[in-house]
Amino acid sequence: MRPKFIVGGIVIAAALAYMIYAGVTQSAVYFVTPAELRASAVAGKAYRLGGLVVPGSLTWEPRTLDLRFTLGDGTATVAVHHKGTPPDLFGEGRGAVVEGTWSADGYFRAGLILAKHSEEYKAPHDASAAGYRELIRTLQGAGR
Amino acid sequence: MSRRAWRWLIPASALPVLALLAYGFRVNPREIPSPLVGRPAPSFTLTAFDGAPVTLEAQRGRVVVVNFWASWCYPACYDEAPVLERSWRAYRDRGVVVIGVDIQDTTEAAKNFVRDFGLTFPNARDPSGKVSVDYGTYGVPETFFIDRRGRIRAKHVGALTDGVVRVHVDALLAEPAG
Amino acid sequence: MIPELGYGAAIVALALALWGAVTAALGARTGRPALLLSAQHAAVGVFVLVTACFALLTYAFLTFDFSVRYVATNTNLGTPFYYRITGVWGALEGSIILWAWMLALYTVIVILRHRVSARAFYPWVLTVMLGVLAFFLLVMTVAAPPFARSSPVPADGRGLNPLLEDTGMITHPVALYLGFTGLTVPFAFALAALITGRVGDAWITLTRRWTIVAWYFLSLGLLIGGWWSYHVLGWGGYWAWDPVENAAFMPWLTATAFLHSVMIQERRRMLKLWNLSLVILTFGLTLFGTFLTRSGVIASVHAFTQGAIGAFFLSFLALVLLTGLGLLAWRWDALHAQGALDSIVSRESAFLLNNVLLVAVTFTVFFGTVFPLLSEVARGVKVSVGAPFFNQVNVPLFLALIFLMGVGPLIAWRRASLDNLRRNFLAPVLVGVVAAAGFFALGVRSAIAVLTLALTVFVAATIAVDFARATRARLRVGERLFPAMRGLLLRHNRRYGGFVVHLGILIIAVGVTGSQAWSVQTETTLRRGESAELAGYRVRFEDLTASEESNHFKVAGAFTVSNGRVLGVLRPAKKFYPQEQSPIAYVDYRLGLNEDIYLVLGDFARDGSQATVKLLVNRLVSWIWIGGLVLTLGALLAILPERRKGA
Repeated sequence: MRPKFIVGGIVIAAALAYMIYAGVTQSAVYFVTPAELRASAVAGKAYRLGGLVVPGSLTWEPRTLDLRFTLGDGTATVAVHHKGTPPDLFGEGRGAVVEGTWSADGYFRAGLILAKHSEEYKAPHDASAAGYRELIRTLQGAGR
Repeated sequence: MSRRAWRWLIPASALPVLALLAYGFRVNPREIPSPLVGRPAPSFTLTAFDGAPVTLEAQRGRVVVVNFWASWCYPACYDEAPVLERSWRAYRDRGVVVIGVDIQDTTEAAKNFVRDFGLTFPNARDPSGKVSVDYGTYGVPETFFIDRRGRIRAKHVGALTDGVVRVHVDALLAEPAG
Repeated sequence: MIPELGYGAAIVALALALWGAVTAALGARTGRPALLLSAQHAAVGVFVLVTACFALLTYAFLTFDFSVRYVATNTNLGTPFYYRITGVWGALEGSIILWAWMLALYTVIVILRHRVSARAFYPWVLTVMLGVLAFFLLVMTVAAPPFARSSPVPADGRGLNPLLEDTGMITHPVALYLGFTGLTVPFAFALAALITGRVGDAWITLTRRWTIVAWYFLSLGLLIGGWWSYHVLGWGGYWAWDPVENAAFMPWLTATAFLHSVMIQERRRMLKLWNLSLVILTFGLTLFGTFLTRSGVIASVHAFTQGAIGAFFLSFLALVLLTGLGLLAWRWDALHAQGALDSIVSRESAFLLNNVLLVAVTFTVFFGTVFPLLSEVARGVKVSVGAPFFNQVNVPLFLALIFLMGVGPLIAWRRASLDNLRRNFLAPVLVGVVAAAGFFALGVRSAIAVLTLALTVFVAATIAVDFARATRARLRVGERLFPAMRGLLLRHNRRYGGFVVHLGILIIAVGVTGSQAWSVQTETTLRRGESAELAGYRVRFEDLTASEESNHFKVAGAFTVSNGRVLGVLRPAKKFYPQEQSPIAYVDYRLGLNEDIYLVLGDFARDGSQATVKLLVNRLVSWIWIGGLVLTLGALLAILPERRKGA
């Protein structure tokens, strides 16, 4: 009886190893900077690209949800296209991490724009809260 | 190997996993690769809370630590304020300057902060936010280490510790002047 | 004064825990009752002191004592009363107190329940539990002291992470920690069994219910976590294979495997080594989870403070694994199985395969979670694997597990005869095949969906077959229908509790399958009065309002939802917390048995004329919560004391 179980165990282990191998090769995401992506971009491969949003490069069209911007790391830049609403943390001159693929047409197609939260690390905010009160006034005016 | 000796492979099997996890400590996620590292530090001129002008240009030839902070940034800025003051006192005679840039803040709250922590190094408010944009800061606290030739050499995100300041400043001091 | 009291209490508790651990061990060696009694007193003292720590910290939260760093970091003057209490365990330092408190509570219960019934193990159990407790108290006093002062005292605190201002986030950690700490009990008994050399099934019988209790809380914690993710985070999903989620899922998987494998040991005296390894592994994984989430070694969307805490947990994890596995090696000779597997077609094999698969899933999840670290060590590049990896590898494993869920409980022990197989499985297999054809005919084209649903029906049919047969047997001896059914559930509560848990899992499986296969979403910008349409629903943008709440500002949209007739108004919002760098989305939804309408407010024009929304129609997600409820009820049924022997 015993050999049967050993053979069974080997079969299961081999199948698992194969599934993990196949899973990794198909869903691996490489962390790159714009310069690294420029140096060796493979169309269709999944990347996680991190850089600064170049000031003046950001456009967003609410009606079509086309979001376009350029990510730079000081030495190289990459044009990024995304369909969707820009995340709250997102803005020119700020850092951003995008996940997607390199398109053969020479731009990065981002499926996901990542915004990270941190417990102790806080970005500038409007300490006076005046901006929000102003917003409330505008909206109330528009609503009536 | 005898059959009995093999059994000690059970606890030994945990070792590679533990080693892998321990390796994770080597990576310091606080040290953020910034596109500005290696480039000339953007110049700025601000007015310190005591009225004196604070100019980066004037510090050429010295190692400069530029720290972005805010009085509402609790607890990180509160944690590192004593560290900055200590470092300033320890290194000022060796050609090191600490400059605090207060952003997104009210003058009154910031002045109280400087007074409460007894900060003696130059601290100035960045009223328009221009300096923080030039340095590409995401938030506070962030700290830039600038060498004697005025180039940014490292960026640290989050609260500083004495060890972090020492490592960066000592490295820049060890470089030949000019 | 308060912080000093709390700090002092923690230090005394640490000393007592160490004292108790040592005296209990000495008591076990020398057999002197006085030493054991002293250890017991120490344990009760620890419980009282940790309770005091907890109460003092809560008091500091309620009184806005910003001189305590932890209070100032996790609350501010605007934090509502309710969240000032729950803020106590909203971050690391407080959750360590909560953890220590639960562990101390469990230790006291173990003393009350087992000091007589488990005399042989009891002193060592006490040593292990107090040793673990001492570790957490060490963390409390050295690595993450909750009572550390903040100087100068800030005028206002920073405030609780807004994402935690939710009932789900209050109960989720409590349930999860009750599960994690509960798993310490079987671990302590396992070590005691190894130390004393009594590696038979006594320790398993003693800890059986403890394991189910811990499993119950772990399951509850995971489900609440999923619900929180679904209704707070606003991405439309409930599980993202994030390292933090994985960290809680892995001990659940191994605990589940353990719950099944102990049945083989009880029945067939097999798998001693395996069971002890599983318990040690499970406890190690609870520590690994905390290490993972608190050390910053693996990046996660839930970013946590990093610091000395990671090194503490890794060292303790090393101590636990090396001690536990070292003891296993030491007792190697006593751990050889008495029974042997007779046939592949038997209940033992089905349970064994179930265990192998659960451990395989655990391994996969572990591998995927530490993959970035692994690739950096091996190749120097940062590569991660995301949700597709976990889904792709785990789905076949999960399907096989569901299949075994139908086979395991009904197949015969030792060697199943052809007759046994036919009697138990012919009807369910036929029902499953018919169901597969039916789903296909109804238009389900995804192979995985058809397979999952058909397997689910098959397993449900096996449960029905078993229950009907047992009920019929009772009817034959003259019982009436309902008393017969109730009697079955209560007298054989472990078996039927297990079946109810299985039913819960099946319902969850249907929910997961449905939401993966049939959910749809769209994102669009609407002007005032314009509508978006999706899956037969029409969502009309009415207006946008803003308001000032106690600790944040809120901009909410009003959207009328209709499908022919008006169903109601959804008000998704964005909340702007002054202490946060970005607004927090507030999702609005309409839950239904078959589909949820789920609306997220994205961007908006500052004059209120235009709003960008994400509209999702999520299919069968409610089944997950219903299944979760069934599952926890089943676990509760299994926890009830067995009445079979008395009846």
